[in-house]
Amino acid sequence: MNALYLAFAYLRYHWGRSVILTLVAALILFVPIATQILLSSSERALVARGEATPLLLGSRGSQLDLTMAALYFSDERPDPIPMREVEAIWDSGLAVPIPVHTAFSSAGFRIVGTTLDYFAFRNLEIADGRGLSVLGDAVIGSGVAATLGKGIGDTLVSAPENLFDLDGVYPLEMPIVGVLAPTNAPDDQAIFVDIKTAWVIQGIGHGHEDVVTAAQIASGSDTVANAAVVQYQRITEVNIGSFHFHGSQDGFPTSAVIVVPNDTRSATILKGRYLDTEGPTQIVEPAGVIQGLVDRIFRIKSLLDVVTAIIAIAALAAIGLAVFLSYRLRAREIATAVKLGARRGMVLRLLSAETFTLLLISTCIAAAGAIIVSRNAEAWVGWLLALGS
Amino acid sequence: MIVLGATLAGAQDRAQVTTVNYPLQYFAQRLLGDGAQVTFPVPRDVDPSFWRPSIADISAVQAADLIVLNGAGFATWVDRVSLPRSKLLNTSAAIKDRFIVTESITHSHGDGGSHSHEGLASYLWLDPTLALAQTEALAAAIVARSLAPVEDVAAQLATLQADLEALDAAAQSALDHLTGVTLIATHPRYHYFARRYGLTVVSMEWEAGAMPNKAELAQLEALSRDTEATILLWEAEPPAAAFEATAALGLRNVVFPTLAHSVDGGTFLETYAGAVSALADVAPK
Repeated sequence: MNALYLAFAYLRYHWGRSVILTLVAALILFVPIATQILLSSSERALVARGEATPLLLGSRGSQLDLTMAALYFSDERPDPIPMREVEAIWDSGLAVPIPVHTAFSSAGFRIVGTTLDYFAFRNLEIADGRGLSVLGDAVIGSGVAATLGKGIGDTLVSAPENLFDLDGVYPLEMPIVGVLAPTNAPDDQAIFVDIKTAWVIQGIGHGHEDVVTAAQIASGSDTVANAAVVQYQRITEVNIGSFHFHGSQDGFPTSAVIVVPNDTRSATILKGRYLDTEGPTQIVEPAGVIQGLVDRIFRIKSLLDVVTAIIAIAALAAIGLAVFLSYRLRAREIATAVKLGARRGMVLRLLSAETFTLLLISTCIAAAGAIIVSRNAEAWVGWLLALGS
Repeated sequence: MIVLGATLAGAQDRAQVTTVNYPLQYFAQRLLGDGAQVTFPVPRDVDPSFWRPSIADISAVQAADLIVLNGAGFATWVDRVSLPRSKLLNTSAAIKDRFIVTESITHSHGDGGSHSHEGLASYLWLDPTLALAQTEALAAAIVARSLAPVEDVAAQLATLQADLEALDAAAQSALDHLTGVTLIATHPRYHYFARRYGLTVVSMEWEAGAMPNKAELAQLEALSRDTEATILLWEAEPPAAAFEATAALGLRNVVFPTLAHSVDGGTFLETYAGAVSALADVAPK
């Protein structure tokens, strides 16, 4: 007890050196633990999103691009597939298909055009406002709301798809009607609209001044309106009636389709229907694709572990050197203690108590840090994953 | 209070079904009986084809277990609102090949190229054989969603289809002598009815149940002269003065409700049968 008291008094007297040694030791302990927690959380988050999405239908090509675009709303742009693929799955009665249209963005966040079934499928809840109701409505994730500082009553404008398609893709102003509760998933960083609104952004549907008269309809004549015809860039109560779509909805595009089979048998039958490698579409199991990605990440993690171990050994050696040098500096002080009658064991106990106290404080700091990381890991990982997309 | 509470709880437990017109509401009620609450939310004074639902209306529709659509371009509001696809049923998806194309207009604007707006006749239920197909789709959807026991739905479907077949047979018999006779309709709603029973119907664009103005009467007179038609079909009963004005042109008036809304005092079958009977009565023998 006396040894601990004297050790603490010594450390307090040399507080500068003690603080540095404590922080360095705490960091050596904290970094590998925090890395492990974050990587485990990342793995859980990635795999959970994949496992929560039974099947994914999309154009044939990179399975990872398709999965990242449909599940994480990344910048990848898989070739679109026609909505008749969605109808084909409905008609099969084997699964519920949920289209996901992710071609556009606004203010740096992905616009996700989908159906109301998506919200039920992901258990997304409205924290403020209401859900999608009419063409043009937008519901934003909690991350979008926090980053842009926007909420109910504000508006978002879709960004043109590219600078060379200014005529084809008109910016559409969309009122924000709802904000989703946080989920710590990519949904927090997305802007949700009805897929029909995404088609309006794409120019497949639009509203404009009336260019066709009843007489022209009666005569079945062709009408050509020039570019001066006003196309609405905002859907309001007044002009919503003029919005219409051209062609059959079966041919309209979607980036991917989340497929929720009725049971294992239905899933097997569906997977069998898309085995033809010459076909334009493929069906993938996101869990498998994500697991492959996670395995790759964890191969990199092994490398990181080695690097961390080397750094830890070097840091421990540096601490050992610092302690050794401090003992050398204290040689006269120790000799005086021995002359005063202190036994070698007593001196050893004093030095051990100092080291023990340092390590104890370092461990406490590292543990506190690890607890903070652990408690926030889900949110931070969600943010990091969204940042990555 | 307890009884009221139990009643409300029972109503909430029942399946909720929403339809876009009265015939589909009638069919759904016949198939589901008291096991479900079937609603048709469009106010009586609004044409269901062009209803503009409020946000509250849309929320109510979204909350239904089954949303029954007519298809064939009926109820265009459906294209402008967000509805859960898993709850939607297009009752005419299987009979697209029997649709009647009414008009097609091609136009272009900007540099987007030209495109066509194709019109479809949408009052399918005025042909009972098409209504039969709609009831089959509806029954299949009810069973698929487990909204009622399979045996009950099958029994109700058989009865309903027998009624529709009887209605069709009665209409065929009653209107047999109208083949080759031209009728004028105040509104273009009778395409499927005319096709089913071999009638020739020429349509105008009058407002349902309203007093026609002078120009409209002049149009009617010219049309009557050109087609030698002597029967005028009204979608809804107009003021008595309208009947007098058209009668003065030598036309016999028949109110033939299109049944997009229900008609007071009659079910779908009763109103339809009554209208067919009224038409048969005024037709030249």
